[in-house]
Amino acid sequence: MVMEDAEAPHHMLLLRNFMSQGLVHNQPLLYASPAIDPRGFLGTLPSPAASKDEKSHKHDPDQEKGLRIAWQYKKYFGESQLNFDGQRDGKHEYSNEFDLRKPLERHFLSAQRVDCVSIQDSPNLSALQDRSATFLSQYPRNDGSISCAGRIAIQSFSAPQCAYSNMEWDMLSFIRSLKSMVRSSNAVALITFPPSLLSPSFCKRWQHMADTLLSVKAIPDEDKELSQLLTGYQDMVGFLNVHKVARINTQVPVILDATTFSIKLQKRRFLVLECLNQAPVDGSSGTSYGTSGSCSGSSKTGNLDF
Amino acid sequence: MAESICRALRDGALEGEHAPALTIKDSIASPFGFHVFCHVLSQLSSFILAGKSQSGGLVVVSFSRSPSFYLELLKNKGIDVVSSDKRIQILDCYSDPLGWKDRLIEAGNFTALSHEASNSSTANVLKDVKHMDKLYNSIVERGKGLIGGGKNRFSVAIDSVDEMSRHASTSSVAGLLSNLRSHDQVSSIFWLLHSDLHEARVAAVLEYLSSMVTSLEPLHQPANGHRGDLENLSLIEHNLKKGKFHVRIKRRNGRVRVMSEEVHIEQSGISFTSLSSEGAINQGLVPKVQFSLELSEKERIDRANVVLPFEHQGNGKPIQIYDGRRSLADSKHERQVAATEKVQTNEDSGGGEIIYFRDSDDEMPDSDEDPDDDLDI
Repeated sequence: MVMEDAEAPHHMLLLRNFMSQGLVHNQPLLYASPAIDPRGFLGTLPSPAASKDEKSHKHDPDQEKGLRIAWQYKKYFGESQLNFDGQRDGKHEYSNEFDLRKPLERHFLSAQRVDCVSIQDSPNLSALQDRSATFLSQYPRNDGSISCAGRIAIQSFSAPQCAYSNMEWDMLSFIRSLKSMVRSSNAVALITFPPSLLSPSFCKRWQHMADTLLSVKAIPDEDKELSQLLTGYQDMVGFLNVHKVARINTQVPVILDATTFSIKLQKRRFLVLECLNQAPVDGSSGTSYGTSGSCSGSSKTGNLDF
Repeated sequence: MAESICRALRDGALEGEHAPALTIKDSIASPFGFHVFCHVLSQLSSFILAGKSQSGGLVVVSFSRSPSFYLELLKNKGIDVVSSDKRIQILDCYSDPLGWKDRLIEAGNFTALSHEASNSSTANVLKDVKHMDKLYNSIVERGKGLIGGGKNRFSVAIDSVDEMSRHASTSSVAGLLSNLRSHDQVSSIFWLLHSDLHEARVAAVLEYLSSMVTSLEPLHQPANGHRGDLENLSLIEHNLKKGKFHVRIKRRNGRVRVMSEEVHIEQSGISFTSLSSEGAINQGLVPKVQFSLELSEKERIDRANVVLPFEHQGNGKPIQIYDGRRSLADSKHERQVAATEKVQTNEDSGGGEIIYFRDSDDEMPDSDEDPDDDLDI
């Protein structure tokens, strides 16, 4: 689940990469959004970037962190993966680099692969629940091979223009049932929601529901203090915080090197996540800027910080 | 800053993008929201009539003021709506929002007064969704009537979202606003909100839906509990003529531009000036930490008085370094030497000393010689 920032559309960048990645790897997609015509969004999905070097090859549908996973593995595998030739016979390598300026080829967006649902007008969540159940029933989890996986992307789940947006218990129980359906099938789901529009207690409950919890934050423009504190401030468009990482069927905790990343758009084409580098400041306490109160903003970072 | 907002509304939306939306938010402490709304309205109207804007027409949805008020307002600014009614239309939701007059006429108790052609938008308060749909359709219809078809666009100004929220649920109001924003032919949209009339969630929803948020705050916060205090009254009076105008603009690249100005209400209208220094937020470049990083005056003087042990004091004496191994009471010779150094510091108004306690006297020193001995600092 991704907690949006009401002031910036960075969650859309994550959504686009998630959706494109699935389509490129033959993973059917169910996309729900509060727009009247969700299909329009598909035109903005990026195409995989032509990669020069090999990317790591770890295909695990349990972990839907997508971007972050490959970034981490690249750090550890490095040279050894360069010899991995992969399949060059028409199949795409598992890639996390997408070119935002190049739209995804049309044949990926055919109706068999992408199902779109508009959630604005439905008075309650039963329609969405049914669609999700139907979609997920196609990907049962067998003990054997992973034949096919599905992806569900729900954008701005509690957007105010949705008729059900003040039915907080209903939304919570939808998330719970979606979670249980996803667990018992070969699929992953990505839900983005604006936490500022939920009551605080429900916001906490939703955060607990998530297996993996991320949040995106906008940064102020032309802020002298920030530009002093952070290197590369000019290129940054926002921050990404990792609050929780999925720990399914394991007792080994995931300990991250860093939980705050800056979101940059390289040449306006590639989404790049970088660890925050704090510029040297006299007398500072040395904590990463991202974990200090003023930037991450809400109290959510407190208990869930690793 | 007000100029940049008006320019953003004038420039409108790019292809495939939602229309820029402005929320003007005020509260009882600084009640200038409507002045700002009128200012933006007259600016945008003059842009439209001069042909400088993306939009070719403006629909004003008036809930809290009668349409004649807006006609007067624009006339005072030199814009004659009647002759330019091809460009500006006022949707009257003020005269009879719930259709009471019609019902009274049906009941035979009322003779309809003639008034300018109005299109009442709320027929039935209970059917929320339908009501907003009707309003949406009327707005779009009026807009299309202004500009014709094709690629032309129109702008929408909503007098008061508070009134809308009284008649319909928050989600249907949000639905209306977001549908207007995503309509192909809407160039820009702005609305006024009195934040203390609603729960916090409503303001949060409207901020979520807009791309620019301006809020008005009082310049001076009066102290609590001292009502009737003369000082307080003058502060409140002050607040009724001036205020702080904060703007948050969500830029396309995902960053947020934050700006502030001072706003003055005068007889002639409203004016914006940059913040005076007393109100400016200038925290300097010191990072926010929990201890003090700056020195007081006394601390500064004391620091200047400390004699640094490795430095020439410029008085021809050989440098003796107190390495903390031998206590001062042990040898007279050392005491004398140490005393000269001490005397120096005492001469300079006393107090500047470096006190060095060695961890343990039993420690073997690395070397009896100071490796930096040959340096002449």
